[in-house]
Amino acid sequence: MKNLEKELIIPSSQENLTDADEFIESNLEELGIDKSLVADIAITSTELINNAILHGNKGDPEKRVKIRLAVKNETVRIDIIDQGDGFDPTSVPDPLAKENLLKEVGRGIFIVKSLVDSLEFDQEPGWGTRATLTKNLSDNN
Amino acid sequence: MKLNSREENSVVILEPKGKIMGGPDATAMHEMLHDLVEHGKKQVVIDLGGVDWMNSTGLGILISSLTTMRNNDGYLKLANVTEKIESLLTITKLVTVFETYDSTSEAVNSFSE
Repeated sequence: MKNLEKELIIPSSQENLTDADEFIESNLEELGIDKSLVADIAITSTELINNAILHGNKGDPEKRVKIRLAVKNETVRIDIIDQGDGFDPTSVPDPLAKENLLKEVGRGIFIVKSLVDSLEFDQEPGWGTRATLTKNLSDNN
Repeated sequence: MKLNSREENSVVILEPKGKIMGGPDATAMHEMLHDLVEHGKKQVVIDLGGVDWMNSTGLGILISSLTTMRNNDGYLKLANVTEKIESLLTITKLVTVFETYDSTSEAVNSFSE
């Protein structure tokens, strides 16, 4: 499989979600990646992009979200970077807890962790929080 | 996401099409459900057969829709749940919350039982 490294910067508004999804899915499909895997990566990426827009950048359309897509050695790596003040992933309540089951929000990070091989958070120099997911494609052959 | 609706045996069938990922999707469904409640509709089926995939926003829309109907003495069921959405409902334990059917006709008929 060919290696790939591309970047997209979008204004921090959910109106740009479709463009971000198209960027990710079209590039992965061009590499011949299985549609179900592409869907898993799209689901998890859009989760993180939504979080960057709504929580990281507090819904401010003047801010930006950077999306870095890389494919190397049969592994997809996507960085979603906001311009916010930081995020504590341990602060997210358990969406499987009985009292949270019928809540409309709060299960995004859980879904990402369930569908990818790794999810990490760090600081991106000059920006804010960087959420990085990796998905090994060869595990699913 | 596009959202169609039709009625069969007094049951309203909502047919979202495409990907449900966030933004205006939630508003469209929310407005549709409230419109149905205002018109006294108490039996709703959401046909998910045309949904390519959804993220947690989509799941939130389903939960919000269920809650809206329940709070107005109505009920909401799901039909044609794809494998991808079924797996999301399972990992989030929402499969214990929603009634799901293999077809819209089965879902519609279940209201008569």
